[in-house]
Amino acid sequence: MKKLSILFLALSTVLVSCSSDDDTTTPIPVKSEKISNLEAIQTGGQGTGNPIGGVFTKFDFETGKITTSDTDWDVAFRGTNIAVNGGTVTGVAEEPARNGNAAAAVVTGTFAGVTSAKDVTFSQDADTVFAIPTGSDNGWYNYAGPPTHLISPIPGKILVFKTRNGNYAKVEILSYYQDEDTSKKSQYYTFNYVYNPNKGETSFE
Amino acid sequence: MKFESLITCVLTGLVVVSGYSQEKAIDTTMVNELQEVVLTATRTKRQLSSLPLPVTIVSQEVIKQSGTIRLNEILNEQTGIITVADESGFEGVQIQGIASDYILILIDGVPLVGRKAGNFDVNRLTVGNIKQVEVVKGPSSSLYGSDALGGVINIITEKPKSDVLSGNASYRIGSYTQQDINVDIKQRIKKFGYGVFANRFSSEGYDLNPDTAGQTVNPFENYTFNGRLYYDFSDRFSLFLSGRLYTQYQDAGFTANTTSLEGDSEEQEWNGHVRLDHKWSDHLTTQYEFYYTNYNAKEQLADSASGDIVSDSDFDQHLLRPEIRTTYTFKDRSKLTAGIGFQYDQLDRTFFDKQVDFNSQYAYAQYDTNLIERLNIIAGARFDNHSEYNNQFSPKLALRYKITDVLAAKASIGYGFKAPDFRQLYFDFTNSAVGYTVLGYNVALEKLNELQAQGQILDVVVPESSLQDPLEAESSIGYNVGLAYKEKRWNAELNLFRNDFKNLIDTRVIARKTNGQNVFSYFNFDEIYTTGLELNTNYRITDNVRLSAGYQLLYAFDKQKEKQVKNGEVFARDPETNQTVVVSRSEYFGLVNRSRHNANFKVFYDIVSAKANINLRLLYRSKYALFDTNGNDLIDDYDTSFVDGFVTANIAASKTFYENFTLQIGANNLFDYTEDNIPTLPGIQLYAKLNYQF
Repeated sequence: MKKLSILFLALSTVLVSCSSDDDTTTPIPVKSEKISNLEAIQTGGQGTGNPIGGVFTKFDFETGKITTSDTDWDVAFRGTNIAVNGGTVTGVAEEPARNGNAAAAVVTGTFAGVTSAKDVTFSQDADTVFAIPTGSDNGWYNYAGPPTHLISPIPGKILVFKTRNGNYAKVEILSYYQDEDTSKKSQYYTFNYVYNPNKGETSFE
Repeated sequence: MKFESLITCVLTGLVVVSGYSQEKAIDTTMVNELQEVVLTATRTKRQLSSLPLPVTIVSQEVIKQSGTIRLNEILNEQTGIITVADESGFEGVQIQGIASDYILILIDGVPLVGRKAGNFDVNRLTVGNIKQVEVVKGPSSSLYGSDALGGVINIITEKPKSDVLSGNASYRIGSYTQQDINVDIKQRIKKFGYGVFANRFSSEGYDLNPDTAGQTVNPFENYTFNGRLYYDFSDRFSLFLSGRLYTQYQDAGFTANTTSLEGDSEEQEWNGHVRLDHKWSDHLTTQYEFYYTNYNAKEQLADSASGDIVSDSDFDQHLLRPEIRTTYTFKDRSKLTAGIGFQYDQLDRTFFDKQVDFNSQYAYAQYDTNLIERLNIIAGARFDNHSEYNNQFSPKLALRYKITDVLAAKASIGYGFKAPDFRQLYFDFTNSAVGYTVLGYNVALEKLNELQAQGQILDVVVPESSLQDPLEAESSIGYNVGLAYKEKRWNAELNLFRNDFKNLIDTRVIARKTNGQNVFSYFNFDEIYTTGLELNTNYRITDNVRLSAGYQLLYAFDKQKEKQVKNGEVFARDPETNQTVVVSRSEYFGLVNRSRHNANFKVFYDIVSAKANINLRLLYRSKYALFDTNGNDLIDDYDTSFVDGFVTANIAASKTFYENFTLQIGANNLFDYTEDNIPTLPGIQLYAKLNYQF
């Protein structure tokens, strides 16, 4: 009995060492997270008579956190506008300078159905144009108009990002309202995202 | 669901019961009831039961006994016809799942105008002086031209027959201070006849949602006047003259947020109709007809605090139509009908740059014959030449085969079209609050250039070439196949229908504005279908008790969207997780405002000894959706705008006393069903009516 145990122990050791040998080639698993109530307040605009303004809320996929860094961000939100840290400024007020090489695309499907960024055509922000198009039924949301005036993320629109570091992430916006409750305040993003921490790897699985 | 099965049971029961009685009655002598005559289906007098087309007739007797006062109420009680209210409260009819835009409304064979966003408000019409309402289902453009895709509703006024002055005067009062006053007089003096009719209808309106400011329906009053003259110059020539005026005044004020607006809306409609009947011989008759109508609507709203005028809209439409038609009756009683006409249509309204007009010329012919004794065939076609869109050729073929003395099979196929309307071609509207713009197709390019010059346009998203070819007329092909069974005491009619629509006109984004909003214009894109079946049975238990039941099954879908759903390209959000899910075929509900099931059950009971009658009408409409709520542009099970199935019950009882007086009391919506999303249905409405007939 004792012999057997020793054998087992030895075997395990071998197995363990084998797997630790593989560590250098096995990718780190993708990271799936949900971000709730990312505040993206726009000031001014329709009905107020004041010019549109407000600071973009920047988000970094690597840390999975909101950031105020001028450089270490991938995507930024203000009102219904979504900026990427790649390309040039679009010309709207108070937007952050683009100093990375991030890019974005809108693809159609379920969140789980988008398994890779391999065949995605990315674009970057440019003069007057966001990579993620603005406007109702044009990019990620639909504006219901009167009487509800609701902003609803269009079902089946998945945002795919190439981060400033060359990683890939996919995002599904779930809600534009605080606590995902359309009776509460708007300009609060809740989204799911999957981030592949392995640089250059396009898979989301 | 329970109720659906109940209805099915009742229907099946009725068919079974009727089936038994049929066996008993099979040897009795033929039908001795009065044969109902229809004008609309062929533009000649035809017996209802001999027609190869699906036709519904509502008689004056039924209208009176039911205690209905407006056309929408009585139409709503017919199988396969429902009324649907739009945002402004206009109640249009839907027939075989086809919306009001595609249904032509006629009075004595001439069309009524004044549609708002395509919807014709049948609430505009009083039923106080009509002989009968005829509804022909299925495309009828072969006789009537544009707008007759889903069918035609024709209101027939009564011709005086007696040389004794006859008529009636009535007053009715009901819940919500609803008052209806009618005076109707007619007389025939040798060669001369006349009819005079006046109606006043008013209500204090009602409020379905007391929590919000303002009423659901504001107070209104309207008047209808109609004068008709008949004169027989000789045996060969007779003249018909009719003038009608409808005018409505409604308080249009409302409170939105904290701003309170006041103002009113006014509607006015004139119709002038002259017809000369010329009988060349027993075989040949010609009708020369001249028709003019004007519909005018005005609405002005002002801020009650500041007095500033917030909105001021105008709508002024004129239509002029001379027509000549001739019918030749052959020796074998076959009939050849042919007509030519000209139509001038003009509209001036707010959000149009200038007054616009259309004109069209048309000709049609129809041959109605019995190839063999048992087989009746109606073949017809019409050609419309129009100033604004491609010429239309609308054929129709209908067959009726008499299988036995009591059973007949019917089949018809027809083409229908609807010309692009003024709004779709000339609209120039920018929503001042939100900032989007809607442009009519014919002015889209020009207006877009203007907006571009003003720096309002970010980018144009469609190629310019796609705005250059003329907009096509919307069109449909309709098929109806059915069986009609008619016994002495009961009859049943089954009709299967399918309507395939193409080139439906809808809006699409043509450009994006710098303010983040869109510029829309109209274009042809949708292809939809409506299909289903309709079953009607009437059973006369005794001479004094009549039962009827009707049912319509309906499937109405957008073909392209159906395909996208099948391909898994349509998504919705799971209400629990807010995550995207694929919409499956079984979750695609179909077009808005369409109910899968519609059913009615009616009992009419005459108590001869007491000179009284009583009736109960139950109407059921299954679940339907109002609009897309989850941004995927179609109605699916995840949408939240569904109105659950519901039943309305209407009851009325009348008693005649002192020979000339009739007292009627009744209740509409007896179960007091209300729903915020059905603004045209108030709670229980009680009424009492006193009628004096002379």
